[in-house]
Amino acid sequence: MTRVVDIDDLDFAHAGADLPALEGVGLGVEAGEAVVLLGPSGAGKTTLLAILDGRLHGWTGRVSVLGRPLSPDAPPPAAARPDIGFIFQEFALVERSSVLRNVLNGRLGRMSTFAALLGRHSVHDLDVAHQAMADCGIGELTHRRVDSLSGGQRQRVAIARCLAQEPRLILADEPVSNLDPARAGEILTLITRAAAKRGATTIFSSHQPELALRVASRVVGMTVGRIAFDHPVGDVSEQEIAALYRNVAQDWPIEAELRLVQ
Amino acid sequence: MKRSGGWAGFLTGAVFAAIVLWSFATSDMELSRLLSAGPRIVEFLSRMMPPDPTVVTEIVDGTAETLRIAILGTLGAVILSVPLGLAASETMAPPVIHRSVRTLLALIRAIPLLLVAMLMVGAVGLGPMPGIIAVAFHATGMLGKFYAEAIDGVTRAPIEALESAGAGRLARLRHAIWPQMAPVVARDTIFRFELNLRESLILGIVGAGGIGFYIQTYVRSFQYDKAASVTLAVILLVIAIEGMNVALRRHFS
Repeated sequence: MTRVVDIDDLDFAHAGADLPALEGVGLGVEAGEAVVLLGPSGAGKTTLLAILDGRLHGWTGRVSVLGRPLSPDAPPPAAARPDIGFIFQEFALVERSSVLRNVLNGRLGRMSTFAALLGRHSVHDLDVAHQAMADCGIGELTHRRVDSLSGGQRQRVAIARCLAQEPRLILADEPVSNLDPARAGEILTLITRAAAKRGATTIFSSHQPELALRVASRVVGMTVGRIAFDHPVGDVSEQEIAALYRNVAQDWPIEAELRLVQ
Repeated sequence: MKRSGGWAGFLTGAVFAAIVLWSFATSDMELSRLLSAGPRIVEFLSRMMPPDPTVVTEIVDGTAETLRIAILGTLGAVILSVPLGLAASETMAPPVIHRSVRTLLALIRAIPLLLVAMLMVGAVGLGPMPGIIAVAFHATGMLGKFYAEAIDGVTRAPIEALESAGAGRLARLRHAIWPQMAPVVARDTIFRFELNLRESLILGIVGAGGIGFYIQTYVRSFQYDKAASVTLAVILLVIAIEGMNVALRRHFS
């Protein structure tokens, strides 16, 4: 069985940056897993997710997503993109459009150019959108404008849009960093349950380990662009997680400063 | 330091005095003429009184024509401004194109409407048509710039999200860019229409149609009482448009 994600020796540096954002990253994810990327800011989680989504280019190494090798310098073909769903940290919704319109936007990639331009959605599209909204608990907000919603409600709209895409792989970048802990737990459960129900694989990043460990099946720890550990959720020790953040507090600034001095 | 500052001040004052004196010397301004003009002005005003109310048909026709000039002029400006606005936007066009289109729009804005209208009267003859063309041309200078700014003011994140979901360029334009820019475009277009209406009132003075045409006609034929009626009508229209502007500002802010 082919892996959903297969990464080998991935390196990436942002233009003009002194330190690489990713260095020698290798990761294999099987279908149906719920992987959490843990680590402090600057660990490379966002970079890794953006590369998997085909939005970030200029890396070296080998990356395959859903059995298709990614090109290091071009986005994936449009036909492949709906299979990879992305939940953005800042939601990335069209504020002045309705909840339903935003969720239906997730269907655009599976429509003909003409139908997508005119927004002529099929009955199937509407069914998928309504199911996604129901799963996200926003069924009664269908016709509300997004700019009238709370942060938690917006995040649910963003998740529903991603689910409406019917992705086989769901990537989520810090999906709960803008929410209070109670809401954050609900949202992470929602994402992983909805993904499991659809047989989709999930990879999400977080810097709230205690919440993430409750919903993930596997934990990948990252610091300074490297993978520090990679275990099933039952095998992770508190010390390992604590070490991720300690590295930031002590080693990383010194290393960064040394490179800056050079 | 203080001394040189004093000299600089004296020099500035001298230059200003010279400019003002030069203006008087070359403008045929005589106080005696202004004083003797007093009775003439009184006579002129008295000939305007009482305003002749029989020209109400002309006023209604002229107002309707002014309205038509403003409507069609705005429509023409919108049609011209959509492609020019796209070409002038930083996000849609490469630097060479958007910079040169922006310069072109600034040049168009710099040409006064009345001048354009006079040239158009010369080119296509009297009537509302030169007025419509002039308004469309002149308004494009402003509207094209505003449309470009509306496009550039759009938030990028939802556009990237739709691209990530596989939506094509046209679908992104329709469902991510347009909903964000539509209210700005609507507001700018309505304000430009209000400005066009205001400016069309006097276009007739150079023969480009509308209510202003009657002012010019009646003044030239010494029918000052009729000219007075039309002038009063224009004043009332300006007040009405001003009220519309206040209401619009309240609505859009």
